[in-house]
Amino acid sequence: MNLVRWRTPGFDPGQELERLQNEINHLFDLDYNDRSMGLFDRATSPAIDVAEQNDHFIVYCDLPGVDQKDVDVSIASNVLTIKGEKKMSERGEKAKIFRKEEWAGSFQRTLSLPKSVDPDRIQAEMADGVLRIQLPKREEVKPRQISVNVS
Amino acid sequence: MATTATNKELETRRTVRPVGNIWEEEGTVMLRLEMPGVTKDNIELRIENDQLFVRGHRDMHDEDQTYVIRERVRGDFAQTYTLDDTIDRERIDARMERGILTVTLHLKEAVKPRKIEVKAR
Repeated sequence: MNLVRWRTPGFDPGQELERLQNEINHLFDLDYNDRSMGLFDRATSPAIDVAEQNDHFIVYCDLPGVDQKDVDVSIASNVLTIKGEKKMSERGEKAKIFRKEEWAGSFQRTLSLPKSVDPDRIQAEMADGVLRIQLPKREEVKPRQISVNVS
Repeated sequence: MATTATNKELETRRTVRPVGNIWEEEGTVMLRLEMPGVTKDNIELRIENDQLFVRGHRDMHDEDQTYVIRERVRGDFAQTYTLDDTIDRERIDARMERGILTVTLHLKEAVKPRKIEVKAR
């Protein structure tokens, strides 16, 4: 499977340098968490797992705090696209902030599916902040058990 | 000691620190921690002396899966916070929703800002 990482348009060298400096600083931070920050920003391109089973693939995607209606899963010519928007948690204007690591904004992840996936029978569900997409394989590519009779 | 017990628990299973926001608002301190894949029943929230211990257990069922891509972070979400004297230990609420744990710590009445009315004569 090919993965295409989504990038925000525009490139600002100054900002990129600052980001690199921040990331190097982060390496020395014991509290550093590579899930939301870092060279591979997992926020704009959420981390996924793809598990393969005999008759289907399952895609798991961590989307904590994302509402079901804000997630859009679509398929076009065997390219699966997960996109959506994560909203910032609500708090009053007078709030005194001690720590702010949550990320909000839009995200997208694209995944090229193998030919064996049947695009018509894809199912997706959200539970406990995890998106689970079930991609059944076509009937003709499923491994079949052929019984051998011993006479 | 409370801290040693906590450390021992952490050693047995891989843990990651949950990403989150912490803020103070209207007499409460709010903790909003991202714990995708953790259900309400898998949250452990405990106070020992001045330590607030948060742990979200998540099971990835890795043993019966064959992965083509595996990027998600493995391990439980765990973090210990130290509470100061301004936090009311008896009034702590927690809520789990869409993979986000929200803990509401109430400040003690005595430390809340109080408005004193000025009477005119």
